[in-house]
Formats: sequence, C-alpha cells, structure tokens
Amino acid sequence: MQKFKLTTALMLCVTASPLLAQDIVLQYMSWDPSQLEVEQSTIEAFEESHPGVIVKAQAIPSNGGYWPKLTAQAASGDLPDVMMMSSGFVQEWAQAENLLDLSSLVSDDEWTNYYEGAASVGVVNGKRVAFPQNWVAPVLFYNIDMFEAAGIEVPNADWTWDDFLKAAHALTIDENDDGRPEIFGFSLYGRYAHIEPWVFRNGGRYLNDDLSALELNEEAINALQFLTDLVNVEGVAPKPQDMEGIRQQDIFPLGMAAMWVDGSWNIANSREIVGDQFQWGIAEVPRGPDATDETVASYAWADMLAVSATSEHPELAWELIQALAGEGVEADDFLGGKVPAYIPVAESEEWLETDQLPANKGVLLDIGASTIYAGFSPGWSAWRGYAASGSGGMNGELDEVFNGRKTLDDAVTAFVEFGNDVLSRQ
Amino acid sequence: MNNFNLARYSRKNGTLFLLYSVLAVYSLVTLAPFMWMLITSFKEPSDVFKIPPSFVPSMLFSDTPFANYATVWTERSFVSFFLNSTWVAFMASIGQVFTTSLAGYAFARLELPGKNVLFAIVLATAFVPTEVTIMPEFLMMRWIGWIDTFASLIVPSFLVGAFGTFMLREYFASLPSDYADAAYVDGASPFQIFYKVYLPLAQPALVSVFVIAFINNWNELLRPLLFLNSPEKFTVPLGLMSFVNQYEASWTLLMAGSVISTVPLILIYMLTQRYILQGFVGGGVKG
Amino acid sequence: MQNRRRIVITALVFLLPTIVGTLIFRLIPIIWSFALSFYEWKVFDKAVFVGWKNYAHIFTSSISLDVFVNSAIFSVIYVAGSLALALVLAVVLNNGLRSSAFFRGAFFVPYITATVAIALAWRWIFSTRFGVLNNLLIALGVENPPAWLADPAWALPAVALVSIWKDVGFYMILLLAGLQTIDPTLYQAARVDGAGPIARFRKVTVPLLTRSLFFVLIIALVRSTQTFEITYALTNGGPNRASTTLAFFVYQKAFVDFEVGYAAALSYIMCVILGFLTLVSFYFRRKWVHE
Repeated sequence: MQKFKLTTALMLCVTASPLLAQDIVLQYMSWDPSQLEVEQSTIEAFEESHPGVIVKAQAIPSNGGYWPKLTAQAASGDLPDVMMMSSGFVQEWAQAENLLDLSSLVSDDEWTNYYEGAASVGVVNGKRVAFPQNWVAPVLFYNIDMFEAAGIEVPNADWTWDDFLKAAHALTIDENDDGRPEIFGFSLYGRYAHIEPWVFRNGGRYLNDDLSALELNEEAINALQFLTDLVNVEGVAPKPQDMEGIRQQDIFPLGMAAMWVDGSWNIANSREIVGDQFQWGIAEVPRGPDATDETVASYAWADMLAVSATSEHPELAWELIQALAGEGVEADDFLGGKVPAYIPVAESEEWLETDQLPANKGVLLDIGASTIYAGFSPGWSAWRGYAASGSGGMNGELDEVFNGRKTLDDAVTAFVEFGNDVLSRQ
Repeated sequence: MNNFNLARYSRKNGTLFLLYSVLAVYSLVTLAPFMWMLITSFKEPSDVFKIPPSFVPSMLFSDTPFANYATVWTERSFVSFFLNSTWVAFMASIGQVFTTSLAGYAFARLELPGKNVLFAIVLATAFVPTEVTIMPEFLMMRWIGWIDTFASLIVPSFLVGAFGTFMLREYFASLPSDYADAAYVDGASPFQIFYKVYLPLAQPALVSVFVIAFINNWNELLRPLLFLNSPEKFTVPLGLMSFVNQYEASWTLLMAGSVISTVPLILIYMLTQRYILQGFVGGGVKG
Repeated sequence: MQNRRRIVITALVFLLPTIVGTLIFRLIPIIWSFALSFYEWKVFDKAVFVGWKNYAHIFTSSISLDVFVNSAIFSVIYVAGSLALALVLAVVLNNGLRSSAFFRGAFFVPYITATVAIALAWRWIFSTRFGVLNNLLIALGVENPPAWLADPAWALPAVALVSIWKDVGFYMILLLAGLQTIDPTLYQAARVDGAGPIARFRKVTVPLLTRSLFFVLIIALVRSTQTFEITYALTNGGPNRASTTLAFFVYQKAFVDFEVGYAAALSYIMCVILGFLTLVSFYFRRKWVHE
C-alpha cells in the first residue's frame, strides 16, 4: 500500500511537470475509477517502455457522466485516443465512424489468446472496432447452507428448469405460516442481467435477424412465462415491489433468498455483505426445455477498449490497449467477477481464487467457452430500459407483470410496440 | 417583534407544547438524512446496507475513527477539489450579486423603453433545461477556448442570473420611492441614488442571492463534467464521482465526501442568516 | 428631460452585463438547441435534418403524452404543497418562538443535503416491508399499506412529497425575508382597530406578502419542471414510467438514448407551456399582488 501511494505521487509529479516539446500525449478515458487505480502500475510501465510518451488517464463512472462527456467529445472531434466501450453501444458508435478499424493492427494468432465470444461483440460490419478487456456473465448464485439444510443437492450443469423449480419450492420457507415466506427459494428482478440468461438458455430471441424489429420467438415467451409463474403462481420468489427498500443485489447476500440470477460482477458485493455468514457458490443458469443444441446460448458481454478514429497515434494507442487488456494485466486488476478477456490470466490460479467464495469461479470460464449471444442492437438502452431509461421499455413492463398488475401478454404487446417504434427511428 | 405573537398566544391556550412537538418531529424528519449521511461516513462498507439498518457509527470505536475522511481528504485529493470549488463558487456568486443587483434595480426603478420585454427574455431563459443547451454550450466554450478553464464556469454565472435578477427586481420594487424623490431634489444622480440609498437597503436580498448562487454553483455537476478535463481542476461534485465504480459505489467514502461537500454550505448559511433575516428594513431610514 | 436621458443611459449601463451575458451564454445555446429540435442528432453521429418529425412524434406518442400529464400532476402537487407549507413555516417561525433559529436551520438542511443521502434515507422510510412509514401504518391498523415507490399510483406523489420536503426550507427563507419588510406599525394599527390574530394575518400579512408569494410561485413553478435528481435517485422514473416527468425524460433522451434533437423538441414544448403559464401569472399578478 505504501509503495502504491509513493508511485502514485511520483506519477502525479510526472504528469504535472511541463511537457517537453517532443512528448506525445495519449489520452485514455475509463469508466471505472477503482479499476483505473489498479491500472496505474500498467500505465506507468507503459510510459517507462515508451520514452517520450505520456498517458493522461481519466475515469468518469459509466452511470455518472462517462457517456455525456464522451458524446460531447465525439461531437467536437476531441475523443481520447483510447476509451472504454460497452457492448451495448459499440454498434452505434462504430456506425457513426467514431472508432478505428483495428483489423490491420491485430494479427490473427493474437486472437487465440482471447475469449472468442467476448471478442466477437467488437466486430461490427466485418470491422474490429473494439478490443475486449474483460467480460461478465449472469450466473445462478446459490446459498449452500440453505441447500444442505433442505437436504438437496446444489445446482449442477445438468439441472433442468424442473429441478430448479423443485429446489425453489423446497427452499421457500414460511416459518409462521402467514402465507408470506421469510425466506424465498429465488429472487427475481426484471433487468437484462436477470431475465436474458433464462431466455437465451431456452433458445429464445427478442430481435429479428437484421436487428430491425422486436419479434419474440416462442422460446422467449415461454421463458418469460416461466419466470412470471415463479412469482405469481408458484410463490417461490417475492414480488419485486414487496422487496422495495432493499437493493435487489442485497437480497441474496442478506440471506433472504436461497437462489438468485445476476451478473458475475455481484461476486464482489456478495463477498462483502455475506462475509463468513454462510457458504455460497455459482452455477450456470439451467438450460431451458425448449432449447436445442443449435439454439441454446449463454449471455455474456465484454467491456472493451477502442481507439478513436481521430487519434493521431493509432499504433501507440493500440499498444496501450494491448498493455491494458493483454499480457500486461494481472489477475488482481479484475475486481471480483470480471473475467479477463486474456485467457492465460483468466485460467490462472490467482484469478480463480479458490480460497475465497465462491469456490467455483471456474464456472464462468465454462460459460466463456460456450456459444455466446448478447442480443444488443442500436437503441437497446431505450427498448430494453437501461440506466436512467430503466423504468421504461421491457423493464417497466416486466416489473408490472412480476408485481401482478399486468398480464404477460399485455406487457409483451406494449413493449414490442414501443421497442419497434424505437428501432424504426435508428 | 410586536406583531401577532404566536408563542404568547399558544402559551395562553396551552397549545405551546403541541406546537413545539410538531416542529420538533418535523425537524427530526428534515435532519434524519443528514444524520444518516454522517453516521454512514463512520461505518465499515459491510455495515451500510444492513436490514434492519444500523445506526451505530462503528468506525468511531475503532483504532482509526477518521479513516474514511483521511482517505477522501488526502488520497483522493479532495483538498484540491475543495479549493477549486470554493474559488469557482465564490467568484461566480460575487459576480452574480454584482450584475443582478444592477439589473434588478434597473428593471425595478429605472425607465427604459422595452425593459419589460428584456426582463421577460431573461426570465424565460431560465425555463430551458441545462440538459438541452449543454451540448451547444460545450461547443461554444470550445470555440472560445475556455475548455479546461474555470472561466467557462465563472463567466456565464458572473454575467447573468435569472433568479437573482428576478429576486432583486422584486425587492427593489418593494422599497418605497419617497427616498428617491427626496434624493432627486437634493440633486443626486441616478447612480448615486442606487448606490447610496437603495443598495444598502437591499442587503438582506443581496446576501440571499449570494447564498443561493453559491449553493447552486457549488453543486453544479453537468457543466464542470463537460468543461473540465484535468483532474487537478476538478470540483467537489466531480470528485464525488470517483467513489462511484462501474457496478458498485464506495458508499462510506461517498458519504464522507458528501459530508465534506455539505459543511461549507452549512457554514455559509449560519454565517449569513442573520443578514438575511435582519428585520424590517424600512425602520431605520424613516425619519 | 435631461434627467430622463440620464436615467435611460444609467439603465442601459446597469443592464449591460446582463444583456451581454444573456445574449452570449443563454440565447445562443438556446437558439442553437432550438434549431437542433428539427434534427435527428445522436451527438456522436452526424445531424440529419428531419423538419417537424420530432414534434410530430411527441404529439402522437402515448408515452410522451403520459410524461406531460405526469409533469402537470407533479407541478400542481409540488407548487401548491411548497407554497402552503412554506407559508405556514415562515409565519410560525416569524412569531417570536424561542429556538426559531434552530428550526429555521433544521428546515433548511434538506435543501443542501446530498441527494444520494436523501434518496437512501427516504427509500428506507417508504420501503414496503421494512419501512418506517408502513410499519407505523400497520401499527395503526392499516392492512396492506401500499408499496409507495413501486406502485404506479403512489410513486409520483411520493417523489413530489420528497421534493417539497427538500425545497420548502428554501422557500420558507424567501418568505421570511418578505415578512420582515412588513412595517410592524401596521400590525399595531390593526390591533387598535380591534383585529384579532387571524384577521391581522388575513388583512395585513397576506396582502403585504403577495409580492414574495408571487415570486416564490414563479420560482417553484420553474423548479417543478426541472426536477431530476430526486426522481433519478428515488424511483428512476418508475415503476413503468409512472414517475417520469419531463426533465427526467429529457435527460433519458439526451444522455442515455442520445436523441438530443428529440430532447430539445420536448423541452421547447415545455417552455411554451411554462411561458404561457408565467404570462398568465403576471397578468393576474396585477389583480392580487399588492404593489
């Protein structure tokens, strides 16, 4: 820690000193302040190995101001040389010709070191416009202590939705029989990370092939119906509105539900809150009954790095990306549940952290090796309901369904109509 | 004051206790979030979202009671954010008091053809949300060359303030005009009448405009976010952003930072409130 | 005549900074963004001229129209609630209570407390199963109290309530400042005429406070249309857009969906409505504001 502070101080001195005329300044914009902090040593090493190059790094949180700032810079032609790019927005940014085509810079054998599924999101219209740094995937969190108390086996890769439902029933406990369980078998929420893994693992799709319209297939509808019934028919998951006041990501770690599906990044928060109060693990979301080997897909997406089309030093920018995403990275750089896109680090003992909970983080690597589908399209944030738009689109309608105020049919009709209006304006 | 005295009235009625209880309960509700912020800034991260909530500032009883504040203040360079914010907010607010007092007085007490149309325009510009004008503002600041300078934050606020202009216009208009008439007879110029007669009378309103402008500029987020690039120029609200990570905020640090950010505003309020509420202004001048 | 010219010149000099500032830093961005309302502009992409398309879409989209209705409801609750509560608090605290300085300060604190802290505290108060409010209601015998922030019928009033609670101390201060300009001799005169406390409030306080009340009315009206932070932190505009008001919708459109032209069109429709309401207010001002 002491050493870290010292190097930070030194770095500040370096950046604060007047720039020499021949110095090249590389701008790097990140959306995660704590990640940038751990990246400082990589950046420092990069500057050492590239004399005369100074990296000016800045982190603005993605749900605070990253996108307003980045869009303003795009509008004025001042984009940083290297910037983080999300899977949800990369298509639109590429279509607007803001991102440099990296195809000529990346050699083919380079790719064998990276998760293909995570990397493929960065290919838009045949051009590689973004490079994966890390990726995340929704997983099924489960409370091992509760499974043991109920005398059932913890989830495994062969679990069916029936197995899941049976377990959820066995784990739902209403001690005082007031019809209002104290502990639920499952905790359900309507956002993309909670719903899409079930849909895609059932072979479901929301969009048509050219991403121009929402056309939910039967598998998707069946998956949504299955989830709806968990709350409103089976009673194994609470209505989201009854849990209002507790952050949804705290319900499982506080021991109020035995299972929960959400993104792997929640490993960090769960570790923090659970502490040593109970044993827990993660599993793949069970495969649905409608899926075939051709249609089944896992949901995962990458945080990527991109070079701006206006960068004056594309080669240097690309080298910086390699340092931040490739050989230069260490397992510590990836905060709980983010998987390095660079396979050698992901498969290392340091990243697997088998001495901590969950003991089976390797599940994530299995997901990374399977068929990935991410289902993003232009306008995704609006039709799906993301960030500040989160109360609208699919999110808003699914909340109504899970809270028992709307039928699934009505909700689907409503969000398909809205989504197609959004997509028609892209 | 010797107008209707509620305290005396309710004491006579025996309702004074009830009145105080209602006020006390309401002030509990107004103070609770601030107290919660304060308590959380002295917690360990794992204690923040417990159910039922814990009201114990656990860190206060550890070896490092002020660890969160130390982190925020030194490691995250809040010293510099704090100084930047103070400078920007102070300059912007002083400027606003200067320009809006002139404008408010002109709108209220001076004759100028078309001044009401002008006032309507100034007021109407306050209706347009910043979210919509920020991109043109950004591009304009870039064209002027003020990106990454404090001028981009200070100068616009210095030159125009719809709220302050409106408030001071109302205030100057509410003052009796006999003073001006008397001064005219003595041969005073319009500027002297403003400066010597009316400006001193408007002190409570001027202080109010300063305080409100200071609070608004201190809390401004969108403009510094877009206009400033260098971390050493960042203001406190931008600094608070560094506690928000991609998926999870550092709540204890965020709350410590928020407390630090709120303290100057509380101080400003406490220092100025007696000027704002100094009683009937006409009293001293009437002769 | 000489005097008149001097006054005009003084007025022009006095207004010079305001005119320059308004022109450069307000009107240019406003006209610019108004022009953008006729474009489809993704900010990071090229702008495409689309004529009245954005406006046409707003007027035919049930979602946008719902947002306008939400905004109207929010503004009515917020403006009426703020004005009434601020007036009560100001009058009570202006009446020689001991420790009124403490109460004034306490009531002003929410105005400067960080919104993140406010939202976390109020989410606990409103929490369906674990909240202070519902546990109180259950203790009082209410069965199944509502899920305030997650119920489309209650979310908007709840957000309005918290917004009033946050801002009312600020309006109270403005009214207190107004109360202090009232000449105390007027109260003495009224008392001599035999007016009781309520009559003195009606005959002296209210007429002489109308100017301040009008000012607070306009400020509250403008603020009511720009509420954003509280909504974002409490309900994120939900459930299912039930608490999405215009400023929040504008933010979504501009910074999440990147439809800046659309956001601009929404804003200028709102400005026309707001401008009209303000003009009406100034017109009626002559009738009830005591000059």
